[in-house]
Amino acid sequence: MNEFLRLRNLSFSYPGKEVLKNISLTLDTGEILCLMGPNGCGKTTLIDNIMAIHRPQAGGILLAERPVGEYKRHMLARQIAFVPQIHDITFPYTVKEIVMMGRTAYTGFFGEPAAEDEEICMEALRKVGVERYADKPYSQLSGGEVKMVLLARALGQRAPLIIMDEPTAHLDFKNELIFLQTLVELCRKEDIAILMVTHAPSHAFYFESKGIRIKAAMMHDGVITAYGTPSDVVTEENIAQVYGVKARIEVTADDEGREIKSVILFETL
Amino acid sequence: MKSFYKSVWFQRAVLILAPVMAICLTMFVGRYSISVAEVLQTIFHHGSSGDASREVNTVLWQLRLPRAVAGAFVGAALAVSGAAFQGVFRNPLVNSGILGVSNGAGFGAALAIVYFGGGYYSYGFAFAFGILAVTLSYFSGRVYGSTPTVTLILGGVVVSSFFAALTSVLKYIADPYTQLPAITFWFMGSLASINYNHFIAFVPMAIGITLLYLSRWKINVLSMGEKEALALGVDTRLYKLLIIGGATLATAAGVCISGVIGWIGLVIPHIGRMIVGNDNTKLIPVSMSLGACFLVLMDMLSRIISSSEIPIGILTSLVGTPFFVYLLKKTKGGGWR
Repeated sequence: MNEFLRLRNLSFSYPGKEVLKNISLTLDTGEILCLMGPNGCGKTTLIDNIMAIHRPQAGGILLAERPVGEYKRHMLARQIAFVPQIHDITFPYTVKEIVMMGRTAYTGFFGEPAAEDEEICMEALRKVGVERYADKPYSQLSGGEVKMVLLARALGQRAPLIIMDEPTAHLDFKNELIFLQTLVELCRKEDIAILMVTHAPSHAFYFESKGIRIKAAMMHDGVITAYGTPSDVVTEENIAQVYGVKARIEVTADDEGREIKSVILFETL
Repeated sequence: MKSFYKSVWFQRAVLILAPVMAICLTMFVGRYSISVAEVLQTIFHHGSSGDASREVNTVLWQLRLPRAVAGAFVGAALAVSGAAFQGVFRNPLVNSGILGVSNGAGFGAALAIVYFGGGYYSYGFAFAFGILAVTLSYFSGRVYGSTPTVTLILGGVVVSSFFAALTSVLKYIADPYTQLPAITFWFMGSLASINYNHFIAFVPMAIGITLLYLSRWKINVLSMGEKEALALGVDTRLYKLLIIGGATLATAAGVCISGVIGWIGLVIPHIGRMIVGNDNTKLIPVSMSLGACFLVLMDMLSRIISSSEIPIGILTSLVGTPFFVYLLKKTKGGGWR
């Protein structure tokens, strides 16, 4: 009953268009929630509501038992960190400067991060394994490395909840796997909750196979149509119903005999 | 020794001393030749000297010094506003005039020249219309209660060209022998007529520069984009308003006493980026210092190159461009892709 994040009957509309209908979800620390759904179903709008960028018309979002709307901006940033889907590189900041921006919520109105913040940032870079780039311009890193830097920035923010919007989009499958492995490590060692918007149903199965506390939610036209364990949510019927795609779920075992499920797509319906 | 040069205090001292030394240098240089001994004499026996040095006194204290000090302020204001705008608008190509402050101020000055005979009216009008132009840009760029970067820049461009058109109307009806040259020269920039009465413009400039200096870390965060800046804990609307307000105060006050001086608000921040990188906690103070030194030295050049002064706006581009290209080649641009 004391989950870190609780959404209760949340509804949200843009002028003249209802986007989110009656959404209820919970997420606790040490847990990952994979949010799935076709393009335009309202996933990003839901994230924006949780981050108090939009205000819902009905229902509530409780973060550590307090409505998100009551948090001041910098106080909210101490509770929620964000890893974006697309990050436009405009200025070639060094990797360390980027990660230091994660410490903004702990600076004063006109302040800037201090020496001890630098320690926290180097530690965050070590955790995701890119500390060797600390003084390099991040414009010279590969797409996968930039994602790691943005993850380090979120870790440096020391927020119990990290929201990720399709964090593995545009990554090749090895970099995607490195990213997922890092999340598994973090989930085991740190006391954080992760809300991850993803298009890959296999992500939920991957976390499930690693024994992480994982929930999945399937979203369609602004409504949560399925919510529970990945095995309950990512089913052939749900994929057919929500995505309109004929698919089969296969079970394979890895070298240590742990079962892992995968989704094979056949054709659109 | 190396650690001494890298220490924060040494770097701060250089940033502050460099413009001061540039100002001192300009005291010795000019068409009215004054020997070093005379300058030092005037400084140490200020006011107590005889007839012979009265002229020297006037040149130093009434002409060269106020000009140099104003040049330092205007240069710092333009450079720091440009750096701040580049960060907030996430666009390395914008300059301090992007929201229309220069064209607005220019129209104000032209209006004063045509209808009120110029003089002190042109300073007040230039300042007021500079601020008005930015306000118009800000509100035309507002959609859905927020100010996205693209619409804000678009608003600035549109408002700028609106005031440019209004200025053309004034040029068309202006007296071609007296008013038209005055307007044209105003748009080329000059510090020639600066005296101590203009120092009142230092107040808004100092306020604006201070606001930008204090917000320098937030400029970094705003350059990550609206959504990321919010997620990092920055009230984007409040800080955008503070930074745009600070840059506008500084630029409008600078432009109103110096006329339009291009180049500085775009290129000085980039020279700063090549020297200290993109972190605005370093870039903002470095831009201030570089802008101040550069304009003071350019103004000195404009006084000595020819017997009739070259407008400073022309000189900044002519001298600055080769210097910039040299730096670009030498530093390989510093991480741009």
